[in-house]
Amino acid sequence: MSDGPMAIAERGVALRLEGVRRVFNNQLVVIEDFNLSIEAGEFLAVLGPSGCGKSTLLRMIARLSPPDAGRIATDPAVSQMAFVFQDAHLLPWRSVLDNAALPLELMGAGREERYSKTRTVLGQVGLADAEARYPSQLSGGMRMRVSLARALVTEPRLLLMDEPFAALDEITRFHLEVQLRELWKLRGMTVIFVTHSISEAAFLANRAIVLARRKGHIKLDRKLDLPVERDNSLRSDPRLGAEMNHLMAAMEEE
Amino acid sequence: MLKKLLPPLIPFVVVTLALEWMVRAGVVAGYLVPAPSAVFRALLDNRDELAAAMAKTSAGALVGFSLSTLSGIVIAVLLSSSRAIQRSFYPYAVFFQTVPIIAIAPLLVIWFGYGMKTVIASAFIVSIFPVIANTLQGLLSTDPALRDLFRLYGASSTVTLVKLRFPAALPQILTGLRVASGLAVIGAIVGEFIGGAGLGSVVDVARTQQRVDKVFAAVLLASVLGLALFGLINLISALTLRRWHASEQETI
Amino acid sequence: MTRRCFCAACAAGTLFASCGKPTKTRLALNWKPDPQFGGFYAAPYEKQGLDVEILPGGAGTPTVQMIGAGTAEFGIVSADELVVARARGNDVVALFAVFQNCPQGIMAHASRHLISVGDVVKEGTLAIQRGLPYARILEKKYGFEHVKLVPSPGGDISAFLRDEKFAQQCFVMSEPLQARHSGANVTVFPVADIGYNPYTTVLATSGAQLKSDPKRAAAMVSAVREGWRAYLDDPKPTNTKMHDLNPSMDASVFAEVAEAQKPFIETAQLGVMTTERWTTLIGQLKELGDIPNAMPAQDCFRTV
Repeated sequence: MSDGPMAIAERGVALRLEGVRRVFNNQLVVIEDFNLSIEAGEFLAVLGPSGCGKSTLLRMIARLSPPDAGRIATDPAVSQMAFVFQDAHLLPWRSVLDNAALPLELMGAGREERYSKTRTVLGQVGLADAEARYPSQLSGGMRMRVSLARALVTEPRLLLMDEPFAALDEITRFHLEVQLRELWKLRGMTVIFVTHSISEAAFLANRAIVLARRKGHIKLDRKLDLPVERDNSLRSDPRLGAEMNHLMAAMEEE
Repeated sequence: MLKKLLPPLIPFVVVTLALEWMVRAGVVAGYLVPAPSAVFRALLDNRDELAAAMAKTSAGALVGFSLSTLSGIVIAVLLSSSRAIQRSFYPYAVFFQTVPIIAIAPLLVIWFGYGMKTVIASAFIVSIFPVIANTLQGLLSTDPALRDLFRLYGASSTVTLVKLRFPAALPQILTGLRVASGLAVIGAIVGEFIGGAGLGSVVDVARTQQRVDKVFAAVLLASVLGLALFGLINLISALTLRRWHASEQETI
Repeated sequence: MTRRCFCAACAAGTLFASCGKPTKTRLALNWKPDPQFGGFYAAPYEKQGLDVEILPGGAGTPTVQMIGAGTAEFGIVSADELVVARARGNDVVALFAVFQNCPQGIMAHASRHLISVGDVVKEGTLAIQRGLPYARILEKKYGFEHVKLVPSPGGDISAFLRDEKFAQQCFVMSEPLQARHSGANVTVFPVADIGYNPYTTVLATSGAQLKSDPKRAAAMVSAVREGWRAYLDDPKPTNTKMHDLNPSMDASVFAEVAEAQKPFIETAQLGVMTTERWTTLIGQLKELGDIPNAMPAQDCFRTV
């Protein structure tokens, strides 16, 4: 599996949002005339203060709620995208294996097939030994990894993540961020990662947008000047700090 | 096992001994409240009759309870499928809760005749509402994020019901069954007052004969029946929820 | 006991209501207000210095226990349940028997052409309170193998009207009349015909009550005797009063029943009881096994 830019582009999708508008309760305009182009295989971080509409945007992309105007299209068109929520949201009555295999089960895959695919992904997130355990027996970090594995079993070309690591402690977060980058490099899907953490956005993404407080206006759209290979040593690298400053400046200005 | 049985046993023993003393000392009239020893003797003397009666009441209560469990869950599933259906029909389900069974029991005899059918109908009517209410509550309380997840992967509403909403509602359903089980016994006994046979009939006849000891013996057996049903639900709850619900797990 | 009267005149008798306030007294009935209680509703209690509250009853009202527990100072019981209560340690004493002859019976559809009560239990359904002594006397005499026994519907004849093979216990001058009004022809078999004839609708009180306030009991009996005389002579005004309290029975039926029950009640001195009748009853109950030992008849009733 080569990691070259061409191979990555084959496994992700491009995304285009044009004139997207979303209104709540016929009054509150949450997103107004939103336009964005995302390249295939891009790791995009979406930053912004609470209530700026970033989660709403993600849900519209996921087709969980329709925009009130404008269009959202992927190229090529995908029928399946994966979503990771802020909490793991596992089914407590199912084992780790059955939880992670859920998407394949819902899509009609047979037992043998879905279990073997799931086991592969569980191995990739470091949960190979935990497949028979139940969510109540797992730590928060492990549960999030199951959620991640669940998102990846269908080999999605578009992965949407809504502040997935916000509820975890720092060390666990650091580990998962590194693991996520590795998985992204391995699989090459397009990732849209919503977060309110500047350091997390900078560490993970190769491009970041900062949304304004209201109406979802894009205040900053920046390609991050950071190496492709990233591990925890980057966290003390001055280059990361420099990028964080850019993002912070955009977040702070009103 | 002993650890679980001892705490409730102690108050029982204390109250029994106190009551025995009070009747013997004449503090309480024995013809109003029987001494525990008299109740015990009544249990022994009439064991064949009481055993047969208990079997009948158990059958009536169990069948009534099974019917209310099945129908109650089905009705709740239907009610949960749409807001419109819920708003139109849920008030009628509440009717089952509020109708005084004593008042309609004679009507049951008209429709079902004297005998087991009336007893089952009575047990059913009295016990169905908690099943509907709790099951509905459980089905409507599904985690919205999980419902989104199922939608995301194109699951039909039937699949979502079977694989998500119903298992998630199980703890709530079992709570409803716990309440319903005791009510089913009460319903069966009331049905027997009007329809004949079983422990209800024993109570009615013994009361006419002023045999308070026998009345209490029959009532005691009815309580045992209620306890047994309750215990059965608890067992089912422990087996099904053991691995994943906080209620059945020891705190860490 | 609760209100002492210090008037010397009061010590002698019961006629001077001006001696302080009338004594509050509760009388518990064992059924809804209907002609069987007519005399109690017609009685001039105030004249005897009593302020009587009549507590209507219904199916299963435990009047013997209420008397024993003191919930009511007086209650209406049947003679057989009084004997059984005494055997259980409840000191209840009879004072006045309204029905000299027991008005209980079994009614069946005339179309069945039954000759004796034994024929009733050869087939079909019989609605009867199995705990009653006469039910068990019937069982002993004729056996219940061929009849389906169901609980008594308590005055409700709808099941009877729906089913030709349905027979039920009744007061001979009450349910049969209602059945005839609904178009059914009935045959009635009085329980007394099988030799079981306890006093019925008996005014009783507790032994303790008698001991502590004998005057109240005497006053009660006087008032009740006068009330029954008045009711037998002219039931109309009292019927109206009772019908208001119990609209479930037609006013015309009230009048009919009041008329039909007269032969059971009329006697030289209303309410009087004999040792002989009580002794017979006690013997029958001992034979049935309802009481462990025969008791002296004199313990069961008092003439005040």
